[in-house]
Amino acid sequence: MKHTQDVFFTGSVTVKASGHHPELFFDLCAREGITVWNVKKINDTECLGNIRLSDIPSLKVLRRKTVYKLSFPSRRGLPFLIKKIFRQKPFVAGLLLSFLFVVFLSNIVWDVEIKGVHPEIEKKISQKLDAYGIQPGALKFTLGTPAAIQKRLLDDLPELLWVGVTEKGTTYQLEAVEKSIVEEQKATGPSNIVAAKKGVIVDMFVAKGLPLVKVNDVVEAGQVLVSGRLNDKKEQEDKNADKDDAADSKNGQLVSAEGDIFAETWYRVKTTIPLETSYQVLTGESNAKYRLKLGNLQIPVWGFKDADYEQTYKETNIKPIYFFKWTLPLSVVEEQVHEQESYQQKRTEDEARSAAVDQASKQLQTELGRDADISFQKVLHERIENGKVKLILYFKAKENISKIQPISQGD
Amino acid sequence: MKKWKQRIENMFTKHLELPSDVILELPRITTIGQLHAYIENHKGLILFSDTELRLRMKDGHLRIAGENFVLKMMLPEEILLEGKIKELRFIDD
Repeated sequence: MKHTQDVFFTGSVTVKASGHHPELFFDLCAREGITVWNVKKINDTECLGNIRLSDIPSLKVLRRKTVYKLSFPSRRGLPFLIKKIFRQKPFVAGLLLSFLFVVFLSNIVWDVEIKGVHPEIEKKISQKLDAYGIQPGALKFTLGTPAAIQKRLLDDLPELLWVGVTEKGTTYQLEAVEKSIVEEQKATGPSNIVAAKKGVIVDMFVAKGLPLVKVNDVVEAGQVLVSGRLNDKKEQEDKNADKDDAADSKNGQLVSAEGDIFAETWYRVKTTIPLETSYQVLTGESNAKYRLKLGNLQIPVWGFKDADYEQTYKETNIKPIYFFKWTLPLSVVEEQVHEQESYQQKRTEDEARSAAVDQASKQLQTELGRDADISFQKVLHERIENGKVKLILYFKAKENISKIQPISQGD
Repeated sequence: MKKWKQRIENMFTKHLELPSDVILELPRITTIGQLHAYIENHKGLILFSDTELRLRMKDGHLRIAGENFVLKMMLPEEILLEGKIKELRFIDD
C-alpha cells in the first residue's frame, strides 16, 4: 500500500480501458512497471484503474502496441488542484491582491504611543511627530530610523531630557522624560551671596540683602558679596572682618540675599592648532537612489543614473518590509550619494593664531556658559612644534560670580 | 529431466530451509479473512471481473471467486485483491 502514499502530491489519473478483456491491459501495465491500483471491472468490455500522473507517457507508449481504447474520466491530486486554482484568474488575482494588501497594511504606522510625560508635553510631541509625518497611516519606510526621530525630537523640544523611540511592529512607542526644570535654588532660609571666583566686580544688581562690596572691588573666591543680615552694615563699616561674630552677637533681621554680581575674571587657556589641515565638505549636491533588495539581489527602482561626482559620501538606509510581524526577505534600500570636496589648508602663523583664539574662546564659552562675555586679551606664550602651534592664551571674561550660601543660624 | 530438476529443488527447500516460494517459483498467497488476498509471484493475469480472478502460475492457474472484487494494487508480480473471497482453487493444466 505504501506505493501509493504520495499520489496526492504527485497526482493520479483514472484510466478507463475499453476493449476485449480490458483487465489484461492493466496486467500489461503492471508488468511494465507502471503501478496500477483500484482496478475495477464495470462490465465485460470496460475496466477502470488508477495510475500515477508521471506514468502517463509510458502508458501511451504501451497503448500504441495494443488495441485497447483509453479515456481518462477523472484526475486527482495537487498538480490538478493547483492547475484548477490558477485557471480561476479572479481567485489568483484576489489572492495576490490580498497578499499585497497585507504587506501594505503591515508597513504602515497604526499607532503612536507616547508614555511618561504630562499631557501638555505629550501633545507637543504628537504635534511634532505629525509634522515629521509620523502618524497613523504613514508608510513606515518613508520615515527615518528611530534614532533619527529621537534626535530630531530632542533638538526640537528643549523640554525633553530624553526620548526613546521604539518601533514595535506597526506601532511607534515613545517614552519621554521631561527636564524637570530646577527652580533656581531659592534658599528657604536666610542666605548670603558669596563670590564663586576671584575677580574684579564690574556690575552689581542686588535685589535683596545688604551689599558689602562695590564696583571695582577685587574679591576672592568665597568672599561675602551680599549679606543676608540687614543690620550688618554698621558692623561692616566699623571693622571689615569677623562677620560671623557680629552676626552671633546681634540677632538682626535675616533675609535670603538675591542679586547678580558681575565680575571680570581671567583665564589662561592652552591650545594647540596644526598648521596644515585637510577637511571634507559636502557641496550640497546629492543624488538619491532607491532599490528593492531581495537577498543579495538588488533591483533598482528609482534613480538609475550615476551622478558624476569626483568624491562622494554615501549614506545607505535599509528599510525592511513587513508581513504581519515578520520581516520579508525584501527590503527597500535608499542610497544617498552626496558630492564631497576635500580641502587642504595651509595656515600661516598669523592665521593659525587667530584660529587658535577662536577655538580657545569657544572652548571657554562652553565651560563658562552662555551668559559669560569673553574677550581675548593676549598671547602669553607661543611655540611651533611638529607642525603645530602651541599657544597659551589669556582671556578676560565678564560673568556672574554670585553663589548663594545659606547662613547657619547656629542654635 | 524435469522430474530430476524438481527433485533437486525439493531437496534444496527441505535441507537448506529456504522458503519454497522463492526456489520453486510458486505463488505466495496471503489472505486476511475473506477481505483481502495478497498474491505474490504470479505469472500473469488471465481474467478479472467482479466475481472472479484468474492468475497464471508455473503449472496451471489459480482461480479466486467471490463478490465485489477490486484490485487494490497491481505491481509487476504482486496483486492485492479486495472484496469478499469465497473460494480459492488451484487448477492444473
